[in-house]
Amino acid sequence: MITSITPEALHDTAEMLSANGRHPLTAMFGRDETESGVGYTIYCVFENIDERRMDVVKVVFDPNGHLEYDSITPIVPAAAWYEREIRDMFGLDPKGHPDKRPLVLHESFPEGFYPLRKVIPKNYNARGNRDFKIRTAKGEGLFEVPVGPIHAGIIEPGHFRFSQAGEAMLQLDAKLFFTHRGIEKAVEGKTPYEAMHIVERICGACSIANTWSFCQAVEMAQEIKVPRKAEIIRTLLMELERVVNHVGDLGNMPAGVGFNPAISLGGRLKEQATRLCEAVAGNRFLRGVIVPGGVRQDVTPELIAKIREVMTGVSAGVMDLKDMFDEQESFQNRINTTGIVRRKTAIDLAMVGVGARASGFAHDSRQDFDYGVYRELDYKIAVQETGDVAARLQERIDELAVSFRMIEQLLVMLEECKDNSLKADVTFGKGEGWGISESARGSNFHYAVLDEEGRIDRLFARSASYPNWPALTIAVQGDIIPDFPLINKSFELCYACIDR
Amino acid sequence: MIELLAENLGISLLQAVIMLLFAPLIAGIINKVKAQLNKRQGASIFQEYFDILKWWRKDMILTPYTSIIFVLAPIIYFVTSFVAAAMVPGFIEGRFSFGDAFVFVYVLALGRFFMTLSSMDAATSFGGMGGAREIYISVLVEPAVMLAIMINSIRYHSTTLAGMVINYDTAYVSVSAVLACVAFFMVILAENSRLPVDNPDTHLELTMIHEGMTLEHSGRLLSLIHLGSFLKILVFLTLFGALYLPVNIPLVLKILFGAIAVGVVEVLNNKMRLFKVRVYMVAAIVMLLVAIIAE
Repeated sequence: MITSITPEALHDTAEMLSANGRHPLTAMFGRDETESGVGYTIYCVFENIDERRMDVVKVVFDPNGHLEYDSITPIVPAAAWYEREIRDMFGLDPKGHPDKRPLVLHESFPEGFYPLRKVIPKNYNARGNRDFKIRTAKGEGLFEVPVGPIHAGIIEPGHFRFSQAGEAMLQLDAKLFFTHRGIEKAVEGKTPYEAMHIVERICGACSIANTWSFCQAVEMAQEIKVPRKAEIIRTLLMELERVVNHVGDLGNMPAGVGFNPAISLGGRLKEQATRLCEAVAGNRFLRGVIVPGGVRQDVTPELIAKIREVMTGVSAGVMDLKDMFDEQESFQNRINTTGIVRRKTAIDLAMVGVGARASGFAHDSRQDFDYGVYRELDYKIAVQETGDVAARLQERIDELAVSFRMIEQLLVMLEECKDNSLKADVTFGKGEGWGISESARGSNFHYAVLDEEGRIDRLFARSASYPNWPALTIAVQGDIIPDFPLINKSFELCYACIDR
Repeated sequence: MIELLAENLGISLLQAVIMLLFAPLIAGIINKVKAQLNKRQGASIFQEYFDILKWWRKDMILTPYTSIIFVLAPIIYFVTSFVAAAMVPGFIEGRFSFGDAFVFVYVLALGRFFMTLSSMDAATSFGGMGGAREIYISVLVEPAVMLAIMINSIRYHSTTLAGMVINYDTAYVSVSAVLACVAFFMVILAENSRLPVDNPDTHLELTMIHEGMTLEHSGRLLSLIHLGSFLKILVFLTLFGALYLPVNIPLVLKILFGAIAVGVVEVLNNKMRLFKVRVYMVAAIVMLLVAIIAE
């Protein structure tokens, strides 16, 4: 359902939709429709959980009018990053936005360069030198600690600026988006099959989530019905991906405090699960299985038996890991009350995934929307109350238990499924649609617009890390700086997901 | 007299050289124990020799913004560890050593003092944080080491390490001896930047203490710092074996036992909250005070 409004009406519409807190802002993105004479547009996507659909509000700018609108960030805090990104990409100015610094394009880009405008060619060489002021606190005895963008571990680039009073963190400003790849620009003009290979590589940890959301968007745009067996396999792959990620994160969190036996056990379990992925998909990242219209590979009875066997082992290992955490009093001491995100904050920022559910915000696209075969499964999503590192750890353990049960049910469904068709026939034409899937880090949202020839006119991809990154800078306030690695690992946010 | 001193000094230096040769091995053994207990293969116990050699051969990078302190500190740190090794009465028959226990403690403090100075020299925030934390911990460690030594000096009426060691009787197991043994082991962990006080294996700069101070050093200077650290832990383990472990086995076995114990404790524990370190150190100090009273 798409409602078109004028820029002047956006503020009131957003206020009305956000008033009762039941419509979290899922995404906000721009689109250049000047070639068809419409002008620039901004899509605001609000979740309508009661009716299990998205309310899409499309703000249409007059082609001859001013490219500015009243910022909705003061009333919908979750819009802060989206509005900054739209300004970077399209040059649409949010009046009254509290932070008008660039978000994606740092100081090495020129002023007035808006890459997602259609007039900018794909191979445009942008070089510039503009200001980018990092936020710091000033005062007697305060000092700054710059960390990154190059880190000691093998991780992606991000710059963190801590404003310190001794060991206590007063303020943290994170400068991310260092390796912006222009993926949304790169896929323009490609067919969904061509684009799929790029979308699959947005992030190495969430290939299934990204591909599935993308395929759902394309399928909605073309009204394609996916065969039932393909839906079961997609759901199964999604849960496998969650197991790999959660087990890996459980092994990673103790690394923040040097708790070595747990690091080793977590690493071992993750490798077992990853090797299972290789057996299922032919590669360790689960790439190349999901395609628009269905899936490309079947899960054979031998594979079903192998999945059962490995999952039983991993499930037992997770219980060992849980015991290890519970028995280590000094570990409990580190994780309890550290890095708290309050429920109100989680709702205001429209947080997703583990981060939201650990703070008592039961935000899970598996139960909020209909996709895959989640509706047929018997499960109850886990929610924690305290919002600290311990809650995020426990949330992952509880979610793993849910996923293990889901996988068992899915394998039975797969065995009972008589219809063996894996992929619907697909032709591409004009249309637009959205897709959502619950990755290990939270909901992953894609919006695709196809032109008359069935080529991509605009693709917007918002991974789960995007709404959760701003919460990290809030969670650290009041804690001491040696606890930062632990808090950071408890969110386990992805840089590549936002550097798209 | 001077001849005697010269001869004994020679013996002490010989002992320090022997300890220096074996120090990387002890570090390698600790690492191997940790790896095995984590169900990993682990590097060879001789790996630290290769590492020292590797750093020694590498280029050294000095920023133009540092002073002479930056270059001097690793040398002083290494030399103080070496002198401390010469002072510990240990392997060589006759068990002679020069200097008394107080000199021993403050020779090591001198090395630490220069390391913290150099941590601030390059003016990076990690170095400054590491230095500040090192001082915070050493303020607590120093009285603990002094108390631990005082127990033996009260018992054996001597303030020289040699005097204590000659009189040390492993058969004498008392409440005070056991308390001192446990407390001194806790002190070893804190003084040598091991878990649960500091994590020697981490790459997370924000949590570092000792490693934070050495981040800007490279090449031969880094090699000296590591060699100094390895030697320091061996010195402490030797002292632990010679004065605190009430078991009647040869000193070499006691040192090995101590090294394995460090590895085991490091696997069993994770790093504690920074501000909890004082609770840990106060516990050690209280145990030592009780030990003195029991004495």
